[in-house]
Amino acid sequence: MKTPIVAAIAALFLLGANAQAQAPSDAQIASIVVTANQVDIDAGKLAESKGSNAQVKAFGKQMVTDHSGVNKQAVALVTKLKVTPEDNPTSQSLKSGGAENVKNLEKLSGAAFDRAYVDHEVAYHQQVLDAIDKTLIPSAQNAELKSLLVSVRPAFVAHLEHAKGLQSSLGQKN
Amino acid sequence: MRFDVRAGAVAAGLVVCAWALAESRGASAAAGARTHEIVIQALQYRPETLKVRRGDVVVWINKDPFPHTATAPKVFDSGSIVADGSWRFTATRAGVHPYICTLHPNMKGTLQVE
Repeated sequence: MKTPIVAAIAALFLLGANAQAQAPSDAQIASIVVTANQVDIDAGKLAESKGSNAQVKAFGKQMVTDHSGVNKQAVALVTKLKVTPEDNPTSQSLKSGGAENVKNLEKLSGAAFDRAYVDHEVAYHQQVLDAIDKTLIPSAQNAELKSLLVSVRPAFVAHLEHAKGLQSSLGQKN
Repeated sequence: MRFDVRAGAVAAGLVVCAWALAESRGASAAAGARTHEIVIQALQYRPETLKVRRGDVVVWINKDPFPHTATAPKVFDSGSIVADGSWRFTATRAGVHPYICTLHPNMKGTLQVE
């Protein structure tokens, strides 16, 4: 259960390390944003179908809706700006961390699935939020890209609080 | 006898209709019903607090790329307002009504109806 969380955190630590070494370009930020959302959409889809607790399923469904909405907006912006998202070590790590999380979750069921999914969502949103604050917003050059990051940031805060609430309610039941 | 009862019922019906008409005219005339907008953007209701008069219309406009709600338990509930969608509500109950988004409960607003 810990492995995918470690993978996701490692991916985002890498993002932090990158920030110190070299700030990502707008094209790289675009790729990181789209990947970070897609990773959460994939996990959310799984929770929608495999979750056992109704609140966990509803949270998964909301993650799919919210992050799909953010991605639609992000893709529309980069298309308008004629920026082609550029694959980079951070987006690659996010992608492989996300795939590993899904692989791990697929092996679980019932309360164990719910707990693993929600634990990962808490860690993931916290780390993405840190990346948004410490790396993505400070590095974004284009004003509209920066503004998009600023405007979607509160969604990550809301999701993190929601996931933490679920985490404590699941904890109380077991 | 039967005829009288019917006539009475018709008369009473007419009185009710006339009263209802007068009431509805009075309400719209008295309120001068204004329409107010609350924009939802970056998970905030703007303005966060809105004062309106009874009979006014409030429209929540969602400019975020995902759904929100405006929900004051037992007073009003928009249900899901989709991205780029809106929801109209006629404020009828006076009072201070705090509301939230049920999907993102850290979003808070207040509707004051005078």
